Amino acid sequence: MQDYDIVIGLEVHSELKTNSKVFCSCANSFGGEPNTHCCPVCVGLPGALPILNKKAVELVIKAGLTMDCEINDLAVFERKNYFYPDLAKAYQISQLVRPICIGGHIDLKDKKVRLNRIHLEEDAGKLVHSTAAIGTLIDYNRGGVPLMELVTEPDISSADEAVEFLTKLRQKLIYAGVAECKMEQGGMRCDVNVSVKKKGSSEFGQRTEMKNLNSFKSVHRAIEYEAKRQIEVLENGGQIVQETRKWDDNHGKSVTMRKKETSSDYRYFPDPDMLAVEIPREDVERIRSTLPLMPDQLKAKFMGEYGLSEYESDILTKDKVLSDYFLETLKHFDNPKEVTNWILTEILNRVKDEESFDIKITPCDLGKLLSLVAEKKVTRTNAKEMLTRIWENGEKITALEKEYGGNVDGDALKALVERIVSSNPKAVEDYRTSDTPEKVFRWFTGQVMKETRGKANAAKAEEFIRELLK
Amino acid sequence: MDIGKLSLIELSTAIRERKLSSYEVTKYYIDKCHEKAELNALLEIFDDALDKAKEMDEKIDKGFKGKLAGVPVIIKDNILYKGKIASCSSKFLENYVAQYNADVVTKMLEQGAVIIARANMDEFAMGSSTENSAFGVTKNALDPTRVPGGSSGGSACAVAAGLAPVALGTDTGGSIRQPASYNGVVGIKPTYGRVSRFGVVAFASSIEQVGPITKTVRDNAYMLEVLAGGSEHDETSLKLPVNDYLSEITGSVKGLRVGVLKEIEEAVRGLDCENSYRGAIELLKKNGGEIVEVSIPDFKLTLPCYYIIAPAEATSNLGRFDGVKYSRRSKDAKDIDEIYVKSRSEGFGREVKRRIMLGNFVLSSGYFDAYYNKAKKLQQKLIAEAKEAFKVCDVLLLPTTAGEAFKIGAKDGDPVSMYKEDLFTIMANVLGVPAISVPYGKGKAGMPLGIQLIADSLKEGLIYNVADFIEKQEVK
Amino acid sequence: MTKTKITIEEVKRLAGLSALEFSDEELAAFIPEFEQIVELVDEVKNCDIGDAQLAYTSHKLSDCREDQAKPSLPQEEILLNSPKTKKGSFCVPKMLD
Repeated sequence: MQDYDIVIGLEVHSELKTNSKVFCSCANSFGGEPNTHCCPVCVGLPGALPILNKKAVELVIKAGLTMDCEINDLAVFERKNYFYPDLAKAYQISQLVRPICIGGHIDLKDKKVRLNRIHLEEDAGKLVHSTAAIGTLIDYNRGGVPLMELVTEPDISSADEAVEFLTKLRQKLIYAGVAECKMEQGGMRCDVNVSVKKKGSSEFGQRTEMKNLNSFKSVHRAIEYEAKRQIEVLENGGQIVQETRKWDDNHGKSVTMRKKETSSDYRYFPDPDMLAVEIPREDVERIRSTLPLMPDQLKAKFMGEYGLSEYESDILTKDKVLSDYFLETLKHFDNPKEVTNWILTEILNRVKDEESFDIKITPCDLGKLLSLVAEKKVTRTNAKEMLTRIWENGEKITALEKEYGGNVDGDALKALVERIVSSNPKAVEDYRTSDTPEKVFRWFTGQVMKETRGKANAAKAEEFIRELLK
Repeated sequence: MDIGKLSLIELSTAIRERKLSSYEVTKYYIDKCHEKAELNALLEIFDDALDKAKEMDEKIDKGFKGKLAGVPVIIKDNILYKGKIASCSSKFLENYVAQYNADVVTKMLEQGAVIIARANMDEFAMGSSTENSAFGVTKNALDPTRVPGGSSGGSACAVAAGLAPVALGTDTGGSIRQPASYNGVVGIKPTYGRVSRFGVVAFASSIEQVGPITKTVRDNAYMLEVLAGGSEHDETSLKLPVNDYLSEITGSVKGLRVGVLKEIEEAVRGLDCENSYRGAIELLKKNGGEIVEVSIPDFKLTLPCYYIIAPAEATSNLGRFDGVKYSRRSKDAKDIDEIYVKSRSEGFGREVKRRIMLGNFVLSSGYFDAYYNKAKKLQQKLIAEAKEAFKVCDVLLLPTTAGEAFKIGAKDGDPVSMYKEDLFTIMANVLGVPAISVPYGKGKAGMPLGIQLIADSLKEGLIYNVADFIEKQEVK
Repeated sequence: MTKTKITIEEVKRLAGLSALEFSDEELAAFIPEFEQIVELVDEVKNCDIGDAQLAYTSHKLSDCREDQAKPSLPQEEILLNSPKTKKGSFCVPKMLD
């Protein structure tokens, strides 16, 4: 294994976040009864013609801008011709010669992965292979959903890097509002090209392709398996056959796909039903101006402006839900360090599903809660209890504030402090002679809190204690 | 009032002014359709047409004034009319019921048209004689032993035989103009994009257009005003206002620069069409036209250029007829591959298969650059050459066809000879410019011939004016 | 000028791409006709087009359709002409994955 370099190229398909499909006005929405989001265009009825969705093009441009792609000033749509029942027209409208985006790169920790292109195409329908008696069922709801295809150069050299690349890509697409990348719904799918070559050799090996991997885990496993398989074949004096292999996630291995497609001669040619699309510079700049900060930029901002550590910033920018939550909370409680501490511990500990980041307290309420702590109206311990009750029972923060808040205050509090101080002469003495009087001071505040079950106005209590200990 | 003698414009005026009811006019034409069934011009006479006519009469009584209010219209069988079969004269789509209206159908219905029948054609509009129809050849309206031309042979025959005042055709390489010429009627292929193609079963998307076939030039202009206009359903349709074509018909050709093509001079010599062609030139000259010789040096390549571009698009356009989603599925098919191969092999006729194969030939790996891409570049060269020509002339004048309608069966087994039928008409499709055929002169056997007028893009009004002039001089 | 020869293998390859099948009899008739047609289109292959370039008819990005979802057709309308349907879907014999 050590004697070989692994060479990996990825082709990643992501469904774009639009209201309507790419060539017709049917809703772009997941699921639904079969063939209910369909019209003459997306079912390929005779005489129907494609009408390009502007937003879909804009989203691909947007994606490209986050990866430093060059935006073509003229994008052309072509037909890729082949017969398959999920393809209503017997051709897929895609782009070959003049894609929307050319070049670009995504930077990993240790390397730059160059992109070949990003283009816009239409998704195919869905086949459900039922019993032999029923047959294969075809649902065109997904047919015509806008899909961006990103193709990398073969710059990736390990399964880990591939996953790092995909993680970064997914992050960017979500941050830019281009795609939701819901893997479990097939919103992001990946084709992997793998070849191996002797270390240091400049000659590429024969590559194989595995299609439609729909989780990062299977991408990782598939690459590891396939690289190992190829090396074994070569070590045993065999040769790698260029082919499409099917990754079987259940058995953890790839197998040669049935040679069903007699030909991969797709006979691409410009779609005569469509006009090419001019993309003027102004439009590209307009779209650029709508780009939100990308994770890398946000991370830099968090470290520079807010003084967070790299570790903290990494976690906060791992998912847009989280960084949005962080930024929103700051609007209600302007202490980045404190907000970060709470998110990284109290919030993340309570989040069960890292995929969806379902945070059950609003940024506004979290801000309020932290304000109460800062103003010492509630103790930290009580704040955590309040958080749990909001999270689990959906209780209102205003009600909880009344319950937990500093309702032992004023004269009552003063009387209590006087009683505690006068009944602990030894501690008073200690305070006055100790090298670490603050420790003793904290013991007194602890006593006050204990007596009031945390409901004392902490700031006031401290003030009274100090006065009496003077 | 003799309904059959009225022009489309006269008819629509008479109905609007309630001198005639839509019902009696529709009844008259439907009777004619039945009477002349032996022409095989029509695949179906719609049984709801008379009801629609009655409805229209009520609407007109209430003040509806659409341009086609109550007027019977026939459509070519590749144009979708919701709820009606649109078979493209193919066994494959024999029972295909349109699920929506073509834009041209919508436009006609909005103007009050009563669509009475669908007309026979060459299967998927591939052919020049309607002999490629899966439902039998249509006969020429003037001589039943001759072809009506094609692919819109049923439409042209129907108008010539008086089955409707107007019929729609589609023209991919001459499919409106050639049959119009063979039947002695008027047909136009508008500028590419002038009429929406939405709902018209595609053969060669980048060059074809819907157009009207009528008895007179003025009727034709009137009808195109209804059909033309941009559509949000067709990206390639031109989003430009539609001219008032009738107002451009002035009755004069004085000062008109009439281009005659150097490249056809030799080809025309000795052809059946020669007298008609030279006569038309003489006619315009005598009436103040200026005759200019122009050159489109690659004219002779328009035919092979077309036979690359059109089949390439066709092969892809016809891929959707795969037996999965609609209409014909082979009964013998046991798996998906057999559904494809058997349904298509049983459903398509010979010419359609030939063109699908040709299209795949010119698109396939190893041939794409030498054929398809080269043809697309050649098309650009031809466009540039035509642009030069239109600097020195206003219209180009050509014969529509080499001669009069040929006998049914005369070109059997000789596809290339059939392809050459379109020698003079194909150029306008490759260039995307408007072209009209207007009857002028007779051939050896006394069958009508047509003169073709071609102008630069969007100058339909100009060719209508010249065609109208020629029509008025033609001795009937 | 090279004349393009059409072999049986070539025709079978094209038939594969076309999803068409021909009987031997049909093939025998087809090939000479097809050769004639290829001879016609070879005029383009063999012609001189100077420096003519491909051109695309285009429109501006801003002219493209706005992203608004509109109602789709009812399922029964979509399936209207289907030779076989089941469970609201188009249906073909069971395929292998």
